[in-house]
Amino acid sequence: MQTETFYDVMRRQGITRRSFMKFCSLTAAALGLGPAFVPKIAHAMQTKPRTPVIWVHGLECTCCSESFIRSAHPLAKDVVLSMISLDYDDTLMAAAGHQAEAAFEDTIEKYKGNYILAVEGNPPLNEDGMFCIVGGKPFVDQLRRAAEHAKAIISWGACASYGCVQAAKPNPTRATPVHKVITDKPIIKVPGCPPIAEVMTGVITYMLTFDRLPDLDRQGRPKMFYSQRIHDKCYRRPHFDAGQFVESWDDENARKGYCLYKMGCKGPTTYNACSTIRWNDGVSFPIQSGHGCIGCSEDGFWDNGSFYDRLTNIKQFGIEANADEVGMAAAGVVGAGVAVHAAVSALKRAQMKRQAAAPEKISEEA
Amino acid sequence: MREDGTRHIVGPFNRVEGDLEVVLDFEGGRVVRAEVVSTLFRGFERILVGKAPLDALTITPRICGICSISQSAAAARALGDAAGLRPPPQGMLAIQIIHGVENLVDHLTHFYLFFMPDFTRPDHAARSWHGAATARFGVGGPAQRSWLEARARIMHVMGILAGKWPHTLAIQPGGVTRAPDARDRLKLVAQIRRLRRWLDETLFGDGAEAFAALGTPSDLLAWRKGDVGRYLAIADDLGLGSIGSGPGLWLSFGAHETAEGPLFARGVRRLDGTGRPGVLEPLDTADILEDPSHAWDAGRPAHPSVGDTLPDPDREGAYSWCKAPRLAGRPAETGAFARQVVDGHPLALGLAGEGGSVHARIVGRLLEVARLAEALERWSIALEPDARFIEHGAMPQEGRGEGLVEAARGALGHWVSIGEGRILRYQIIAPTTWNFSPRDASGVPGPLEQALVGCPEGAMVQHVVRSFDPCMVCTVH
Repeated sequence: MQTETFYDVMRRQGITRRSFMKFCSLTAAALGLGPAFVPKIAHAMQTKPRTPVIWVHGLECTCCSESFIRSAHPLAKDVVLSMISLDYDDTLMAAAGHQAEAAFEDTIEKYKGNYILAVEGNPPLNEDGMFCIVGGKPFVDQLRRAAEHAKAIISWGACASYGCVQAAKPNPTRATPVHKVITDKPIIKVPGCPPIAEVMTGVITYMLTFDRLPDLDRQGRPKMFYSQRIHDKCYRRPHFDAGQFVESWDDENARKGYCLYKMGCKGPTTYNACSTIRWNDGVSFPIQSGHGCIGCSEDGFWDNGSFYDRLTNIKQFGIEANADEVGMAAAGVVGAGVAVHAAVSALKRAQMKRQAAAPEKISEEA
Repeated sequence: MREDGTRHIVGPFNRVEGDLEVVLDFEGGRVVRAEVVSTLFRGFERILVGKAPLDALTITPRICGICSISQSAAAARALGDAAGLRPPPQGMLAIQIIHGVENLVDHLTHFYLFFMPDFTRPDHAARSWHGAATARFGVGGPAQRSWLEARARIMHVMGILAGKWPHTLAIQPGGVTRAPDARDRLKLVAQIRRLRRWLDETLFGDGAEAFAALGTPSDLLAWRKGDVGRYLAIADDLGLGSIGSGPGLWLSFGAHETAEGPLFARGVRRLDGTGRPGVLEPLDTADILEDPSHAWDAGRPAHPSVGDTLPDPDREGAYSWCKAPRLAGRPAETGAFARQVVDGHPLALGLAGEGGSVHARIVGRLLEVARLAEALERWSIALEPDARFIEHGAMPQEGRGEGLVEAARGALGHWVSIGEGRILRYQIIAPTTWNFSPRDASGVPGPLEQALVGCPEGAMVQHVVRSFDPCMVCTVH
């Protein structure tokens, strides 16, 4: 069988060699890997067979796709789109109807055991799945069918990872996160409502390039993006420590940029990269727009009382019990300072995990 | 050719937001009857009951990742109405800038990512323009790339004013949480000017003002510049102007309200006895009724302020999760074209007089892009960083509110009742709820169901469906 590499695909899509090399350095930077990794990424993409991606949509609002196609660097986005556009995505693909269903089946058959399944949204289980019908069948069937032969699953966003607002009490449709339906596959959760575009492209590029999952935390989130609290990297943190707070929207204190904790900000209990990578090309993030964080990357954020209730379970004024948990692993990864050695050991650990399953696949990075 | 009397299910539809199926009966190779099936239900109206009123500001935007600002603005208006709060003039401006950018971006995302790729389908391979269209508008092709780049840039406006998009939190019942400073204002103006240049150079191929000044459908067909010109040549060749007419009744809640009133008028316009669009009629929202007789819902027809959502997959005769909204008993079409017709733009009125086709809906969006871009620049220049951007006020313990806005796809309404400080009832009618409604109790089909009748089989069905720019996740919510 003819092996097609990512590089082949990119060249066919009109991406120049120069652009390709630039993409490799961008990817290395985005993933917090040093310049030494650039040739490794390039080598991998020129020699490895392309990993196909099937992207399916359950109960959702399409905000993850919206975020994804708005990814910061046009080149990165071009390349990532070219990586996945050949396979199946019911929002963006050109085919329709039966043709689309055929493309779905073809991709599964052709790449059995080799493709990545990206899931946006989640399956509703009440009424035999009637609340979300795709191609005449409950979405949960499509999900099971696609998952059966996937080598790994990405749960995009709060819906796929945890349930999100449609699972809020009383959860009328019994919207259920992916990992509670599919229990026999490696699943990586990329929560947030939606996740940050650069986090999405970073995760998928890592998986496609290195052919394995990034290092995950206990909840199954990639550590490189979810190991620090919004609060710890928040530019308003000094005001928290100094006891300077906004008392009402757009008051004098708000214009001075004081801390939003009293307005119900969930930054102190939320793990995400918003305060470092930020949103819309790194322009801003919710706290910068004067509104507190609602904790949309945390499980159950939709059912924790009003979004404007003040947190009562955090330690005040900078005395943090869990500094150890927070620090180390990827503090520098998403920020400016690149912790090459931490990342390398993360890669090593990930290698170990993969080696047991697929010993052939990791020689390039060793 | 499809055999007479046979029934076909078209779906799943890609390049629409959410899940959709269309059931078609053919005779003589043409559609004689259509049923539009919304297959996705999440139950937002049930989930909101019992929550603190302000939580609607976080929950309702998540109905839709495409029109989340519209949902957010409608929720803020409904809550503001209940609390007797109105944003100050500068707060209104800030809301309209982010809302205007979202609508404009939605129109072009529809054009480049959802609508134009249909002309690259093999069904059209015999057409003289097919090769050029495929090279320009194919998935991942130069037109899409150029738009996605321009889109990411203009989205900086969302960053500056709203923190994050989709699902911003900045819009509150009394205004916005963020007062832009002088530097923000400069950045906003610069980004909007940059977008206007892109529109002139790439989309219109000439000044957008010249496009907005077009007065008749025949003047329009002479436009052969930019991507718009490429589209017009295709539309002319395929006869998109003579297919896909809706119910001939257009509805707008009035779009982009600032201290000077709405940018595009509120009201209703319908075809008169001679087939010409009539005078602008006032809109009374008391005339709105949601009819669940063909929906998987156990309720009865009701005004949304007293309506309910009671999912019932076993309802006899039902075929969709979508209820059927009616205006004084009639189905109404909503969207950018409807807004331009209601607003009385001469070109839109001309196209309405020709029946209001697939082509008319595309042109309605393009007209609005040209007019909105101009307004966005004006609004951003008018920002006064030292002014008030929000009024304060508590949510009432008891109250009712109505929040009406125009999303990219048309009229969006939220109706809330509050009791003992909690949400007692929350009903939403989204634009595609109007456009893709099923039949009502008297068997009258919804706008798309009417628009599909007479449509030949094949790609044309896709063009008709996508001309509405459906948002299925909003439709049922």
